[in-house]
Amino acid sequence: MHSARTLLLLFSGLFAPAFSHAELVLVASVRNPAMELSHERAENLYLGSTTTLADGTPVKLMDLPNGASRDDFYLKLTGKNPAQIRAYWSRLVFTGRALPPREANSIAEARQWLIDTPNLVGYMERTDVPPGARILLRLP
Amino acid sequence: MKRLNTLLLSLAALIAQVAQADTPSPLSLSGFGTLGAARTDNANRAFRSNSVSDSGAGAAFDLSVDSVLGVQGSLQLCNRLDLTVQSVVRKSPTGSYDPRITWAFASYQATPELLLRIGRTRLPFFMYSDSLNLNYANPWIRPPVEVYSLNPLSDIDGADALYRRQFADTDVELHAYTGSSAMNIRGGSANLDKIRGLKASFSRRGLTAQISYARADMSLRWSDAYFLSLRQALIATGHDAIVPELSGTDGKTSFMSAALQYDQDRLLLIAEIARRNVDRYIDTALGWYVTAGYRTGAFMPYLTLARQREVSPVSTAATGVAVLDDGLAAFNAGRNKAQRSIGAGLRWDAGRNVAVKAQFERIQPGPGGLGILLPNQLTDYLKPDGPTYVLSLAVDFVF
Repeated sequence: MHSARTLLLLFSGLFAPAFSHAELVLVASVRNPAMELSHERAENLYLGSTTTLADGTPVKLMDLPNGASRDDFYLKLTGKNPAQIRAYWSRLVFTGRALPPREANSIAEARQWLIDTPNLVGYMERTDVPPGARILLRLP
Repeated sequence: MKRLNTLLLSLAALIAQVAQADTPSPLSLSGFGTLGAARTDNANRAFRSNSVSDSGAGAAFDLSVDSVLGVQGSLQLCNRLDLTVQSVVRKSPTGSYDPRITWAFASYQATPELLLRIGRTRLPFFMYSDSLNLNYANPWIRPPVEVYSLNPLSDIDGADALYRRQFADTDVELHAYTGSSAMNIRGGSANLDKIRGLKASFSRRGLTAQISYARADMSLRWSDAYFLSLRQALIATGHDAIVPELSGTDGKTSFMSAALQYDQDRLLLIAEIARRNVDRYIDTALGWYVTAGYRTGAFMPYLTLARQREVSPVSTAATGVAVLDDGLAAFNAGRNKAQRSIGAGLRWDAGRNVAVKAQFERIQPGPGGLGILLPNQLTDYLKPDGPTYVLSLAVDFVF
């Protein structure tokens, strides 16, 4: 009984990140103080149908490594599940329509990119946002 | 050799350096592929994924019909200028496995709405032309041959412009293109020159509608043994005038298509109709299909009905000499890809980047030809007989 409870605790610990709905935010470097982003614009950017902000500024996009945060982000922003978004983006990329968002190898790398790269838009959990980055949009 | 090693090492070092950079790399590499097996129930009917291959799948599982591997590299030169190169390995219509450059272009984002491209892109005659080798992005094992075999030339060397804009809730895209295309096919070679085409797409929520029109000059030079002997016989009997209707460099062609796709939540519906008009060398034909799919979890069963019929044959010439007219009839029948089919399939999104598919089709060739099927004997083109059943299995992946 005791070991069963330990196992249960262990399991709930393991799966907690997948179930917890951490707040996701879209972010950019503080070097872009004037940058503004609506939910609709963000969706268009991450669906490859535009490459610029509303004012015409070209931006690059960043993806997190495969995982719960990334899946959660696309579901909240675009309504597409991981398989749908993968099929959707592979069509855009391999038919020469759009370049894919640059995939960071880790959260640490994503944080570094965001601080150092002007005109880069990314997303992460709110608690991961580094000091040099600015929140553009919240996805509750 | 040593120099090559040094070069590879320094390239690897460069890539490692780029991989550790504080900013994202401007270079992206990715790939896709399919491992597919297909077979028929009839050893005398080879199933092909296009109408110009000189081999296909018979009564034993064959890996060459659908298997394909592609790699793509893109380089962002600056905010507005990108280079993209894609190379694909799959069995060519003439049986070679040499890699083919399928995309190679520079694209320039002239304005937020306007993208200009120059180089090799895809001939966009039909709705799924762009993703022909990219089976992972498509519901089926392969796009329905009744429409997609109407144009076996997949790429275009030239320039195009894509204009994309939102009007209210509707995404509108206009695609204008020009260029030329060439390909070696079963028993000959094909060219499209002075291609001029326009495609318009309208998307709103899950619904996409598309219409397309293109014209081109066409060359089709048959060089198979059957055509050469027919030509010799026509010339020898004073019917030279018929030969320029069968093979040459003076053809005119046009392609028209219209398509609808509804892809929302659980439901996928696709309908497409296309027509190829030709004044010689190959027949004028009309093809259509409808597909319905229903998603439940990671699975999507789907059903497809499709048909191609001949509108007019390659040549209506008659010599009055029975043996020559029979020869012309066989020539026409060999180029008539009329067929109708019903197919049922299942797509399973087995993993993040992997889809597993199974598809079963009943193909009734004719009238007047053998459709996509390739017979053991040329005379079979004139007597299509009953249906052929095709079973296909595939694993599609992207990386």
